[in-house]
Amino acid sequence: MSLIEWDDRFSVGVASVDHEHRELIALINATHDRLLRPGAEAAMPDFLGEIYARISAHFALEERLMQEKHYDHYSEHKADHERLLEEIRDMMDDYEDSNFFNEQRFSGKLQAWFTGHFRTHDARLHQNLG
Amino acid sequence: MIKPIQYASRQAFLRLENAFGVAFGPKTNPFYHLGALSFFFFWVVAVSGIYLYVFFETSIEGAYRSVEYLTHEQWYLGGVARSLHRYASDAMVVVVLLHLAREFALDRYRGVRWYAWVTGAVLLVFLYASGIGGYWLVWDRLAQYIAVVTSEWLDWLPLFSEPMARNFLNSAAMNNRFFSLLSFMHIGIPLFLLLGMWIHIQRISQAKTNPPRVLVVGSLLAMTVLSFVRPALSQAQANLDLVAGTVQLDWFYLVLYPLFDIWSPGTVWGLTVVSGLLLLLLPWLPRKKATPVAMVDLPNCNGCGRCFADCPYSAVIMQPRTDGLPFENQAAVDPDLCTSCGICVGACPTATPFRRVTELTPGIDMPALTVRAMRERTLAATAALTGPDRVMVYACGAGPDIAAFRESGVAVLALPCVGALPPSFIDFVISRRHADGVALVGCVEGDCYQRLGVEWTGQRVTGQRDPALRSRVPRARVAMFWVGPGGVPELLHRLASFRGKLRERGPYQKGEAAHHPSSKLDQAHNVTY
Repeated sequence: MSLIEWDDRFSVGVASVDHEHRELIALINATHDRLLRPGAEAAMPDFLGEIYARISAHFALEERLMQEKHYDHYSEHKADHERLLEEIRDMMDDYEDSNFFNEQRFSGKLQAWFTGHFRTHDARLHQNLG
Repeated sequence: MIKPIQYASRQAFLRLENAFGVAFGPKTNPFYHLGALSFFFFWVVAVSGIYLYVFFETSIEGAYRSVEYLTHEQWYLGGVARSLHRYASDAMVVVVLLHLAREFALDRYRGVRWYAWVTGAVLLVFLYASGIGGYWLVWDRLAQYIAVVTSEWLDWLPLFSEPMARNFLNSAAMNNRFFSLLSFMHIGIPLFLLLGMWIHIQRISQAKTNPPRVLVVGSLLAMTVLSFVRPALSQAQANLDLVAGTVQLDWFYLVLYPLFDIWSPGTVWGLTVVSGLLLLLLPWLPRKKATPVAMVDLPNCNGCGRCFADCPYSAVIMQPRTDGLPFENQAAVDPDLCTSCGICVGACPTATPFRRVTELTPGIDMPALTVRAMRERTLAATAALTGPDRVMVYACGAGPDIAAFRESGVAVLALPCVGALPPSFIDFVISRRHADGVALVGCVEGDCYQRLGVEWTGQRVTGQRDPALRSRVPRARVAMFWVGPGGVPELLHRLASFRGKLRERGPYQKGEAAHHPSSKLDQAHNVTY
């Protein structure tokens, strides 16, 4: 079963943003699937690096859209992006530096990390951009 | 032939600029603002010219009289305006010629930069025509001399049905209408000059057309003082019935006029045309070796526009999506404008070395040094380092001599511009402990060979511009050195002191930045001793 299922409530009403959200969900699910199979530890840095790059690009696009529309909560939303990127970087460093790795906990973190931002900031963005 | 001249003039500029740098400081060094100063002097000439025009009479008798009135009766305003008009236009010639010589010396005129060179060269004609036309209007002995010599020169070409010089045979031949025509030309040609200046800067983004305030105030003050101390004066009134004997030339605009005494108009025409053609063709003598331009990889581009925002040459454009993906835009590169500086790659959010190696293709990449190659070379270079003070240096290829670093025991990667480095490389090198610190070496601040690379890098590293270096990276492990060609010994000294600090600090610890929030970025701007 997938870690995160696409939900129409996730839609912000901007085709490009929705498309990237779907892609990110697919990437996180693929990471989760890979975690459950043998040899996950060796493959994880690649997946995390990819998520980091994709999410960076996605935020860059979202930030441009917000700036173009003079979105009033831009700085808060941007700050949340920065926080999320720091968190994924923490996960990457934790992974690199620790000998102990807990798949379950890691999956949980990824899911919470992704959907948390959705429920708050992107939902508000939806009302404003959509 | 061209190379030695270029080298010698580069050395000359270097010495001059360093001397000015000591007096003015790096940010207000006039040599870094020659183009902008030209704009500023143009505006001074324009404003003072409008004032003079109010009082100027366009008739043979009135022209001289009205200028005399302005100079002597209304010396406190009209006289100052006249002097400012003169001195600012002289200053404009100086900064324009220095600007031209400097772009040549620093090899910033070939390749895709031919456009600014050629348009600039054409502007010289308008600049000189404006200035010479101005001298003509005063209608003193100098004006008479210019009128006769210039019209004889122009008459050599079969342009006019009647020789223009016939107007200046004697005072009876001259008429007032000719004066109206001249004064209109003195307005029209400068307007074309302004239009040309605007065209001249079309192919670069964020062109600097306003010099720093210190230079504006300083030069305006200096010219005003000069206007009171040595006001611009007319020579004796023109009299076409007399042959102009001795005239005092203006050496800024009329420097070539003595040639008319030695040579025939045809010879001077030959010299003008040949040197003009040489100037125009210079970017192709020889042409710059073409470097492959930036390439967009659509599967990795979501149209975020960061490369578009950072490109110093307007070479990246955002255009409607062509691959069917639901993004609005995609980046595209205009090969005629791209200088292969790589600053777009430094701006791309997908250009991160943390990505899986096999698929490390960013949205925009430089074929000459791909991000993947950048990552591989970083790893190879740092693998050879040992000790507690390992430093990875990313250096601008147009800046200081890289061989000097290699011998000093650090890892070095030369980039087309320091702005081509995606900031996450710094995070990568430090957090993965490939080195204990990262040093960025670029051109002198305010005078980046690729225009904006140093500025953008500084803003990215200090978190003022996206993609910003993550705050988790301890700034004490990052050093920025902006260095002129003469600053290498000083740079090596500073690099050694940076390594000393790294030794004291010990190996990188996770969360170090949070534990030492005050850790300061090691920056030495403009090491040009």
